[in-house]
Amino acid sequence: MNIIKITDLSMKYDNNPVLNNINLEVKAGEIIGYIGPNGAGKSTTVKIMLGLVTGYTGKVEIFGEDISLGNVDYKRRIGYVPEVADLYDSLTAREYLTFIGSLYGLSDNDVDAKAKELLKLFDIQDVYDQRINTFSKGMRQKVVIISSLLHNPDLLFLDEPLSGLDANTVMVVKELLSLFSEKGKTIFYSSHIMEVVEKISNRIILINKGQIVADGSFETLKDQVHGSTLEQIFNELTGFNQHEEIAKNILSVIEG
Amino acid sequence: MKDFLTLKILDRFQFIFKKFNVDYPTLRRILQIKFIMDTRRIPVSVGKARKQPDRDYFRVSLFIYAFMGFFTMVPIAIVINDPMVLMTYIFGILMFLLLMTVIADFSNVLLDVRDKGIILTKPVNPKVLSVAKFIHIFRYLFLITLSLVGPLTLALLVKYSFLEGFVYGLLFTMLFIFEVILLNLFIIVLTTLLYLFILKYFSGEKLKDIINYIQITMTIIIAISYQIIGRAFELTELLDFNITIRWYHYFLMPFWFGAPYKLLFEGNLEASIITLTILTIIIPIVAFIIYTKSIGTFENSLLKLNQTDKQKPYKKERWFIAKLITKTQDEFTFYRFSYQMLKSEREFKLRVYPSLGLSMIFPFIFMFQSGFDLAKISTSNAHLYLYFCAFMMPMVTYMLRFSRSYKATWVFYSTPTKNLSDFKKAALKAFLVRLLIPIYVLESIIFTILFGVRIIPDLVAIFLTIQIFTVICYRIFGNFVPFSQPFENATKGQPLVFFLISAILGIMAGIHYAVTLFPLFIYPYILLLIVVTFIAWKKGLDERNKLDENRRLN
Repeated sequence: MNIIKITDLSMKYDNNPVLNNINLEVKAGEIIGYIGPNGAGKSTTVKIMLGLVTGYTGKVEIFGEDISLGNVDYKRRIGYVPEVADLYDSLTAREYLTFIGSLYGLSDNDVDAKAKELLKLFDIQDVYDQRINTFSKGMRQKVVIISSLLHNPDLLFLDEPLSGLDANTVMVVKELLSLFSEKGKTIFYSSHIMEVVEKISNRIILINKGQIVADGSFETLKDQVHGSTLEQIFNELTGFNQHEEIAKNILSVIEG
Repeated sequence: MKDFLTLKILDRFQFIFKKFNVDYPTLRRILQIKFIMDTRRIPVSVGKARKQPDRDYFRVSLFIYAFMGFFTMVPIAIVINDPMVLMTYIFGILMFLLLMTVIADFSNVLLDVRDKGIILTKPVNPKVLSVAKFIHIFRYLFLITLSLVGPLTLALLVKYSFLEGFVYGLLFTMLFIFEVILLNLFIIVLTTLLYLFILKYFSGEKLKDIINYIQITMTIIIAISYQIIGRAFELTELLDFNITIRWYHYFLMPFWFGAPYKLLFEGNLEASIITLTILTIIIPIVAFIIYTKSIGTFENSLLKLNQTDKQKPYKKERWFIAKLITKTQDEFTFYRFSYQMLKSEREFKLRVYPSLGLSMIFPFIFMFQSGFDLAKISTSNAHLYLYFCAFMMPMVTYMLRFSRSYKATWVFYSTPTKNLSDFKKAALKAFLVRLLIPIYVLESIIFTILFGVRIIPDLVAIFLTIQIFTVICYRIFGNFVPFSQPFENATKGQPLVFFLISAILGIMAGIHYAVTLFPLFIYPYILLLIVVTFIAWKKGLDERNKLDENRRLN
């Protein structure tokens, strides 16, 4: 069964097309690197799947269920790390995490025990009862990641989940993602850091100007397009090859 | 985790939510979190109080509201006897206070864009969130209303029981409470629809500006209401007349709320009174129905808050005055920066504009309180109250060091900025040009119209004195990098110091007064002031810089 099935998805904001006829099927256990230039429609797709954006045309099914029918239960199995994560940051980490847990229908005691354990593993256990607005960027990001995992989701939407994390934590999270995949969890991974996407994903979807322009494993993309790294493939497919020229121009502007 | 009385009461009524298919445990949890966050927010009415962790600021503000309610409404209730006139006044005041409060303090709740991202990405029905938002605001408003009208309700009960018997008094009070609940409902709906309207036709930035100005107005009004409490009795005596209903009364909500009293307690069955009474009931209900229909649109419009405005075409500014009053290129740069900061920073405006508003009104308040007499205007010296314009100068020079984006100060240390003292001077000048001088000029014009052109030499003298006073304030409070500290650091003990320093201004005003006793002395006095101003601005600011360097070395 498909975890995600998107058929003919299109979306317009004020008559500007943002998504143009997206078709997509995702199976359990896939780690999808979802990449594209700024404004290509990546986060809009994710927001539609989370039910945050309505007014699209086409059909979006998650866990075999059409999400436009208004039943929110499918979100029980989804974890979400947005690129810019808002938090109720006047709360303490404990208050915030137990709150999020209970929105997923978990009991406070369970979440509390789990959260405490996870904070310890992420090495921030001593700030559990401090307000989030005193946290550093990395600590905040850890809280965001933990809040997306408390309910043991089957489908994860991660948007730049590694930003602000130190190199050691990055290794932990990457390892965790491959463990998730082995367990059959599906991961939708958006990032601008091509090296990471290249390494962790087993399928890459490139979206440009609201359309899917490439879909396949890194190996198949390499064969289709000239390029040995994902970065080169990205540049090729988005039709961008002026980087040397632009850099030179920038330099000449700086030098005056 | 902390539990709340409101939640315990709601627990008893959970069947209602179940009936409407609202997931009660989730609703309860969202409300609990929101209430906790409320206790950690500092309401506008508490003002600049020093932040103390784990203090329930909401409760503190309730006492302030009770105090406000007592002084603004109880005197009226004692003085006015006619039920409809009395209630029209009361609801006029109440509506105004509540509307202001909701907009000032609870805009963040209504306009919280985080809710969508945090809560609706979880398996939570959007309906639950809408209901939670409504209950959240309603509880808040209800508690504030309770504090505001608590003393008044008691006063009404006692007064009308005494005048007309206990049953009458009790019914009177019950009708009052019923109307107050209707009003609460209406206020929430009205505010939401107002925001919806603004969001539909204006940008999110515009809405934030509008809210900012309402917050400022609110602070000014609280301050003024303290000033005029003493005069409340005389004022209300003037206002105790009988109402003849005219067409425009139908558009004034307080009249609607007053009408049921005439209908029920005086048995007045005039068509106008009945119409007004019907409006009281129908309009809030109709508004509520529109509200439930449009609340979905509201959440979507909120997304606009995060959108950036369409770029306005760039207008090249000349900075003519800036070039005139700054000496070095550095100082010019800093002047321009400070000017733009003063113009755009909302939190600075919120802290400083109310005081500036007060300093605009002070000259008039003092003029009237000292027994101003229009008949003697041609010989009066009351225009010297204009000195109060600069009353807030110490406070503002103190506030210039604060900013919301205080952390951005690093750019001054990472760039080869030679002399930060230029920055301090520039910020001071920017403040004078952008805020103080326009206020002073405006007041001068009003005073010239009132007193005639004979006061113009005095106005010049006052202006010069204010310039000298500014330098004095700068020397006392000016040792700081502008916009470099968080607002939380603003301390509460300062007003006394400000007051003492303003005494200097008082002395200068006294000298001026002495000069006016001798005709024509004012001209040599102005000459003297020009010289002093010149020296003060020339030397007073520079000398300080050397001290800065010493202090830094120490």
